[in-house]
Parts: sequence; C-alpha cells; structure tokens
Amino acid sequence: MNPIAARTLIVHHMLRAALLAGFALLIVYLKQKGELPLFVAPRTEQAVKLSALGLYAAAAYQAYSAFRLWRDNRMSDACDCGHDHAPSPSIVRNMLIYGLFALPLLLGFLLPHAPLNSVLAEKKGVSFTGLSTHPSAATPPSNESSSGDKGNGVASLDALFPADEYTHAYAEFAKRLYKREQIVVEDNLFIETLTTLDLYQQPFVGSKVTLTGFVYRDGHMRDDQFAVSRFAMTCCSADALPYGLLAQSADAKNYANDSWVTLTGIVTTTQWQGQSVIMLTATDITPVAIDHRDAYVYPNYEFDL
Amino acid sequence: MRLWLLRWSPPALTAGCAALLALIYIHRHSALPSVGMDKLNAFTMLFLGVIFEALPFMLLGVAVSAILQVFVSENLIRKLAPRNAVLGAAFGGLLGLLFPLCECGMIPVVRRLIRKGMPAYIGITYILAGPIVNPVVFASTYTAFRGQLHIVYERMILGFAVAFVVGLVLHRYMRSDPLKDTHTAAAHAHHGHEHLHNHHDHRHHDHRGHHHARHDRHEAHNHHAHEHEHHHGGKPALGTRLVSTLGHASDEFFDMGKYLIFGSLLTAIIQTGLDRSSLSAIADSSWLAHLFMMGFAYLLSLCSTSDAFIAASFSSMFTVGPLLAFLVFGPMIDLKNTLMLLSVFKLRIVLAIIALTAVLVYASTWLTGALHV
Repeated sequence: MNPIAARTLIVHHMLRAALLAGFALLIVYLKQKGELPLFVAPRTEQAVKLSALGLYAAAAYQAYSAFRLWRDNRMSDACDCGHDHAPSPSIVRNMLIYGLFALPLLLGFLLPHAPLNSVLAEKKGVSFTGLSTHPSAATPPSNESSSGDKGNGVASLDALFPADEYTHAYAEFAKRLYKREQIVVEDNLFIETLTTLDLYQQPFVGSKVTLTGFVYRDGHMRDDQFAVSRFAMTCCSADALPYGLLAQSADAKNYANDSWVTLTGIVTTTQWQGQSVIMLTATDITPVAIDHRDAYVYPNYEFDL
Repeated sequence: MRLWLLRWSPPALTAGCAALLALIYIHRHSALPSVGMDKLNAFTMLFLGVIFEALPFMLLGVAVSAILQVFVSENLIRKLAPRNAVLGAAFGGLLGLLFPLCECGMIPVVRRLIRKGMPAYIGITYILAGPIVNPVVFASTYTAFRGQLHIVYERMILGFAVAFVVGLVLHRYMRSDPLKDTHTAAAHAHHGHEHLHNHHDHRHHDHRGHHHARHDRHEAHNHHAHEHEHHHGGKPALGTRLVSTLGHASDEFFDMGKYLIFGSLLTAIIQTGLDRSSLSAIADSSWLAHLFMMGFAYLLSLCSTSDAFIAASFSSMFTVGPLLAFLVFGPMIDLKNTLMLLSVFKLRIVLAIIALTAVLVYASTWLTGALHV
C-alpha cells in the first residue's frame, strides 16, 4: 500500500475519531451542565444519551482503524459492501465537510445557552388559543351560559361545556377546572389547560387563573398589555412553539421582555386579530427564577385517558 | 502561485480560525451585543436541537443497515419481497409500520436492502411512505390535531396512496438500477471480472473518478478478491463480522451525517429568519397556499414525528388542503433528505421521485381540501 495514501487515511480516521468523540463529549457536557433539556424533550433525552455511547463506539473504531493502518501499513478490512469508504482526495472538500461537523461542536461548547425566548416567539407567533384550531368549534352559544352559577348540578355543566367526539377530554377537564376556586395552569398540563380555557371562554369569565412564563410583547399590543408564554416542545427545539395568555396590567412596563413571572389574574375576553381570546386582568405579578429543566412545557400524552 | 496558495491557505485558515476560537473562548462570559447574541442563541438552539433529535434515529438506522449488511443474506430479502407490482408497492408502503425509522435512518437501510436484492421500487415506496405510515407519527399527529382528527387519517391515507402510486409508476418505467454505485451490482453478478470494474470508471467519472484510480492501486482493497473470499471460504467469524458492522456503521454515519448537519443548518437559518406575518397574503390564495406549504415543508426539513405541531400552528391561517400538503410532502421529500437521496440514488431518479411526489401530493391534497368545503 502506498505509504502516502496510508498516512492520509490515518489522518482522516483520526479526524473522524476526534469529531465523533467530540459529539459524544458535547452530549455529556450539556447533560452535566443541565442544558440538554433546552435542546430536546425529556423522552428524546434518553435516546440522545444512548447515542453518545454509539458515538464513542464509532470513534473508538475509527481510532483503532488508524492505529492498525499505522502499525501494519496496509488495509485489511473485509469490505464487500461494494461502495468504498475512502474519503475524497480534494482538500477543500474535506475541509468543508470536517468544518461542517466541527461547527455544531464549536457552537455547543463555546457559547452559553439560554432557553428560547422572545426572538423566536416573535418569528413563530405566540398562540393565545392553546391548540384550538377553530376557536368557535365548540363554544356554547354565549346567551345560554351567562348564569355563572356553580351550584346547578351536572346537567348545567354539560350545557356549559358541550363536547363532540374530539373534544370530550377537554370538556371533562373544563368541568373539573370550573369547580376550582383558582385555576393554576400547571406545567404538565400547560397546553391542555390553555386549550380548554379557549374552547370554552364564556364560563370561565371572572375566574382566577395563575400561570408562569416569560414576558412577551408584540407590536399589536397596547402599552399595558403583554403575554405570559412558554415554549412547548414535542421532541426538539426546532418544533418548539410558544403558547401563552394575554394579560393586562397597569404595571406592565415594570416587566421587561423575557423576564420570567408568575401572574395571577381574572379572566375576561378580548378581541385579538379578529378572534375572541382569553385575557387576564392581572392582580398579582411575581418575578420567578426558572431552572433550565423547567423552561419548556411538553404535550401531555395521557390527557385523553 | 496557485500551488503556493493551495499549500499555505489551509494552515493559514486554521491559524485564523484558532485565533478566532481563542477570542471567543476568552470573551465568552462578557456581554456581547444583546440583539446579535439572542439571535445566535436562537440559531444555536435550533441547529443543535435538530441534530440531537435526529442523532439517535440516524445511529439506529445506520446500525440496522450495517447489521443487515453483515448478517442478513441476499436470498432472504429476495424471498420476502412480493413479486407482484401491486403487492410490492403496498408492501413498501406499509413497511413503515414494522420499521418506523426516521427518514435519516431509513435511507442507509434502504440502500442496503436494495443492494441485497430488494426491488428498488419497493425500497423507494418505503422511503416515501415510511415517515408517514408509522405508529409514532400517527401518535404525534393525533396529539397535534385533536380538534380535527380527520386530518390525521387523511395524512395516513394520502401518504400511503401517493407512495403507492409512485412505487407503481417506478416499477413500470424504471429500467436501470437507480443506485449510484452500480459497480457493486456488477461485482455481485460477475466475480473477479476486472474489466467490468474498469469499464465502470467511465460511468462514475463524475462521482468517484479518483477512487477508481486508487482502487486499482490498492490490491488489498480489491472488492473482487473479497468477493471470492466470501463465497468460497465460508462465512467469516462472528467477531470479525461484528467489527465489520461497526466499521460500516461509523463510515455510513459520516456519509449521512454531513447531510443531516447541513440540513439542520438550513432549517435553523430559515426558522430564525422567517417571519410568520409575512405569510398572510399567501394564505389567501388557494393554489399558492398549497405550493407555499409544500415549499415550506421542503425547506424546513423537519422530522415527521414533530412536524405536526408546526402544521397545527398554521391551522388558523391555512385551510385543510395546504396543511395536508405540508404534512404529506414534508416527510416524503425535503431538503435534508433530497441531499441524502442524492448520495444514494442517481440524479435522474431523484428528480423523477421529487416531481412525481410533488404533483401527486398537490393534486390529492387539493382534492381533499375541496371535499371539505
């Protein structure tokens, strides 16, 4: 075997080993810093950690290949796969390719990481209606539900929260929420709660709602308005979408964009871009500090059960 | 002069990059201009997020492909695949239920299967239908479109239907081997035919011209010699095969990985740059909306397990037709997997697949949308 070619191959193998090991190390590094949840959802986290192992194994193999080449000065792999694994001889191409692999490593290791915030929320557009795709789909006729009377028994609850086969779970959840003194939007049911509140706006008018999120403003809001939102992730940050509720408060300007707050307010409705949405008139706003692990919310897969 | 430039620019660039890196490292805790930093952070989140999320699926796919290569014989594959075109296309369309791999993992597996003797049209049908007709995607689409469950079923049905038709068309019209490295097929058929190997030099000049030249010099790397070994000396030991699997897997990871990273890069750039409000004019025009959603899905290159939520976020602006176009076209054909397809199949075939799929998706989702009004 040509000694020059062997040397080049050794370099390639070592570079690949380094890059593969680099990715494995990056995953471990982010895990140690507690930043992995910023990138992927919890259920994907497990798989990502396992792939770190796979990457180590691949890196080890590349290093071993390099070692064998160096020692034996020949290739002895049984490789009847039919396509050859030899890298391209073009230097520019190689630099581009290895540079491409190095870029995520550089960004991952060198930059500080923060949860997704208003910058992306603005690009994607915050939903104030939860998952509701047709806000008017299952709202009861508003003239029937203005009683606000909680003691009328099951029959009136059904009338307040009509459901078709698709929104049955939301209807049941809405009935439970309706009975509470104060509705706390919990992290593990964040999207679902917002969707429920939006599906049945009228019965919740006047109720007290508490939620935690980051402050977000967009150009269409009044000075005393802002939104409290959370990013919801399904499996990774690219599919993260912001959901939140509009809020109004005389103290709005004290709360900077992207600051985290727990806001309690009374439900009213308002018009937002041609639709009726829930808005909270704030009674209490408390700044909070949030852990990376809790920054995002996730769909609750047991909601239907 | 040119030689001098070529000789010194890589080290010079490396030194420059190292200097930049050092600067970044030293200043990483100090406050950088907040606007730029925010965007960079959003970009990094998206870029790395997509890579991390796809990584397990890619490794899984590469591992499965490598295992198939080393442990499963050709005859088994040939026996399993149905002969009849209709059954074959249906088989390919439903294979995703058995092997729900992400598209990143699927392409190396299919390449391996086709090399092992599975008819190419079935493999391509699987590539198209697999990312849609599988239980994981069903679950995620169900979660995202709870209020409009018909979309979930329509997605599954249209996904299968489009892939099925493309499979049939390919079976009817695709004559030659669609894979890029066809000297393998020849190698399997004709042991130790050196000439054939050299003749293929011309055909692949554009792709691997250099490698063929190197091949001729590296005796030990000669495929045909190994072909001989494989068939006359009995199967190699399990240990060797396992090591060989690892070798294939790690090399294939590099092969596919660069497309994954490049696709993620583009996705991150687009998502950080594109503003939602600029879309409202497009949403109002029916035919433009379909085209737009398909193009959008193409550029975003999202994994099919998570794109349902992105589509759901558009449901206030777009009607059922364009949403379905996004949900059906995206998993089948997007920027990331076009690049991966190009690394496996010939350009002509990839173009044909894309064109066929695009037309079928556009037509079928337009029809479905019209049925809803």
